[in-house]
Amino acid sequence: MKKTTRNMIIAVFLFILVSNVFSYINKKDEPNGTQNAGLGNATWKDELYIVSGSENKELEPILERFSNENKISLHMKYQGSVDIARELGNKEIAYDAVWPASSMWISIGDTNHVVKHTESVSITPVVFGIRQSLAEKLGFTKGDVSVRDILAKIRSGELSFCMTSATQSNSGCSAYIGFLYALLGSPEMITEEMLSSPQLADDIKALLAGVDRSSGSSEWLKTLFLEGDFDAMVNYESLILTTNEELRKQGREELYIVYPYDGLSISDAPLGYIDKGDSKKEENFLKLKNYLMSPEIQKEIQSYGRRTGFKGIADENRKLWEKNPGAKADIIISPIRMPAPDTLKAALGLYQTEFRKPSFTVYVLDYSGSMSGNPLKQLRRAMSEILLQENAAKNLLQASSDEKNAVLLFSSDIISLEYASGNIDIEKLNNAVQKTGANGGTAMYEALNKALSIMSDVDLSLYNPAIILMTDGVANGSLTFSDFEKAYLSSDLPVPVFSISFGNADVDELGRIAKLTQARVFDGASDLVSAFRKAKGYN
Amino acid sequence: MKTRYKGLILLLVVIIISSAYSLYKSNKQEEVFIKGYIGGEKIGLVEDEQVKKILDKKYSIKLDYRKAGSYDMIRAEHTGFDYLWPSSQTALDLYDKTYGKPKQSEIIFNTPIVIYSRKMVVEPLIKGGYVYQKDGVYYMDMEKFMPVLENVTKWKDIGVNLYDTVVVHTTNPAKSNSGNMFTGLLANMLNGGSVVQDSEVDSLIPRLKTIIGRLGFTESSSADLFSQFLKLGVSARPLVAGYESQLIEFANTSPDDYNAIKDDVVMIYPVPTVWSSHVYIALSDNGRRVVEAMMDSEIQKIAWEGHGFRTGVVSDTSKIKVSGVAESLSGIIQMPSSSVMLKIIKALE
Repeated sequence: MKKTTRNMIIAVFLFILVSNVFSYINKKDEPNGTQNAGLGNATWKDELYIVSGSENKELEPILERFSNENKISLHMKYQGSVDIARELGNKEIAYDAVWPASSMWISIGDTNHVVKHTESVSITPVVFGIRQSLAEKLGFTKGDVSVRDILAKIRSGELSFCMTSATQSNSGCSAYIGFLYALLGSPEMITEEMLSSPQLADDIKALLAGVDRSSGSSEWLKTLFLEGDFDAMVNYESLILTTNEELRKQGREELYIVYPYDGLSISDAPLGYIDKGDSKKEENFLKLKNYLMSPEIQKEIQSYGRRTGFKGIADENRKLWEKNPGAKADIIISPIRMPAPDTLKAALGLYQTEFRKPSFTVYVLDYSGSMSGNPLKQLRRAMSEILLQENAAKNLLQASSDEKNAVLLFSSDIISLEYASGNIDIEKLNNAVQKTGANGGTAMYEALNKALSIMSDVDLSLYNPAIILMTDGVANGSLTFSDFEKAYLSSDLPVPVFSISFGNADVDELGRIAKLTQARVFDGASDLVSAFRKAKGYN
Repeated sequence: MKTRYKGLILLLVVIIISSAYSLYKSNKQEEVFIKGYIGGEKIGLVEDEQVKKILDKKYSIKLDYRKAGSYDMIRAEHTGFDYLWPSSQTALDLYDKTYGKPKQSEIIFNTPIVIYSRKMVVEPLIKGGYVYQKDGVYYMDMEKFMPVLENVTKWKDIGVNLYDTVVVHTTNPAKSNSGNMFTGLLANMLNGGSVVQDSEVDSLIPRLKTIIGRLGFTESSSADLFSQFLKLGVSARPLVAGYESQLIEFANTSPDDYNAIKDDVVMIYPVPTVWSSHVYIALSDNGRRVVEAMMDSEIQKIAWEGHGFRTGVVSDTSKIKVSGVAESLSGIIQMPSSSVMLKIIKALE
């Protein structure tokens, strides 16, 4: 008996040991971006990694409550629809759940058939939000408005607008396809043949030239809009409603919501489980899904301006629509029919290489001593993903024939500066990136000033300009932030400076640059390649 | 001393119980996880707690699945999978042609293809004579409706106050069965209402392609399309081809939501319509165990009353929460043969 007891104790110890080793191994499988603050408590054993459209960021208060009530940490990674679809096609998927803006992206991406328990959490149409006085002036506040009516005002120069990139984000994609329909005279269905019409190319180029600013994500487009001074944006109804909330707080003019009767599209926010055979994860996922679908939470989600349930908008939430100009709680939304996947792919390819407003991007890259070794290797790989067109095409980030690019390498001083026009010469820019070694200091503001001066030589109204700065340290040249601030303000150039932080970069200072230039900071620490891809997706 | 004995007794009790349990377990059939692909419309059934319980208690089966369209699953990787459960005979034929005869195949349930719509669409369709009501059941005269569908017709022209033109949304006919069967039905109708033969199909394909091509992007799963029908609103999905079972299941699993829509949503039986046969394909010996389990009278009862899958010729609609469900269907047309359907799938891919 004694022996049995001892054996049992040993067995129990062994069991505990083994299960700890296993849970350690499991931990190592966590996807990149773990440092993205999770909702809940890091010590909780149960967690779900969710890759989601950025528009769901607004629902974080609800997600956080779920997390705390159930002791399940939720790690949200916000990505564009194209990225999400691509992620689903991978053999190894780093996430437990997927939550894109439209079920179309799951259908296109889920070639491994691993997504299940999918359910639409809420509905919101893609709409135009236009400054109210301008909407009135343009005659959009009376009667039905079509996409064509809006396009006419854009082409006549009376209206400019912001939208997300059609190849990176669902709302931009929807708007773009809606524009194509309207320009093609509302055919029954868009075909690849129609896309090759020269007339269409001229028309859509003229239209997209009216895009003031582009963005890789719908949520950030809202942020950009609030920080800037723009006339209109194409975005989800829910995000326009919450934008107006902010505008009212700031005492600014609200956006009038226009629902074109010939349709843009509807986001149905499907939440789906990615089955990798872990029944505990599945159970936790179902808890989350059932929580979000419960009648009380569905009603609460409505208070964020999203349409839920089968009974229309609840009485207590109607006031949200009623107080917004143009908003219609009971509108029958007529979306466009999206083209078949091959045609869609062709249309998005054309957007990227021909139709979009050409970009003018100056890459300002830190080649200081601390970059040598692995960081430099990663940087070189990241730049090859963008500059080498075959790689870029995989992420719909190819250069167009009209765009301009420059690569500026710096350390204690400017090391090199090279330009390329169009989509053939751009590959040559990769030579310096691959061959130059890293050493010396970080004359970051000298480099940024140089980049600005390059921009000032060009008529920027023809381009979507951006500076993409990558740095791994603190600026230690002779110029400081305030010198750059002065130079930037006096140049009066509408150039956002996106930065990618790495290593010991001063994130606060990069944040100040982003605020000054209406841009944002991307965290390159966990995955420099994807940070570059994201930054590029913004112009 | 005494405490020590207490501990020993407790240990003894634990050992006795656990050996008794393992003896019981060894007498019971060994529990197996059975993994396969199923069409999305049957997920509600296999996730049904009662069904799970019967499978577990009576048959020692835990059914694991991945969701895939009927045709997608035939083409998917099968290594390590025990079964495929598509929704049509044609998918089985495609399997036979590709891999040879499976271990076993069996039709478990049947369900007719229907068209879902809403009052504001159906009322003008009744006025136009395309849809009629008999004994509380809605039917669509397919012969009369075909020209509306084939010649681009504006909703407004047939009295429906919607923008855009008339289409019936289906799932991707090359991937998913409900879309495939509705396409088979359309082919028969284009063929003057008689079943399309191999010699006739080529001349019909361009016309079919036009009708289906107008849909653009199509969903891969009937379940997803039905949920869009319910959620996106009448203008996004005015007419949707699906399974009769879907509304019956929805009424059971989401009674509150069903009550909110039941006065507006209409289920229409096309005349003629086609039967979808949910044929189970066993790929392994473990997979075969499911056939017997699914034929269990208790499961068959749950399948009809809770999930709308028909198991016999005449079905007792008194147990069904949805009104307008036909007791039996007479206007049935056979699907074209699998070689005809395979030609159509190929042309539409």
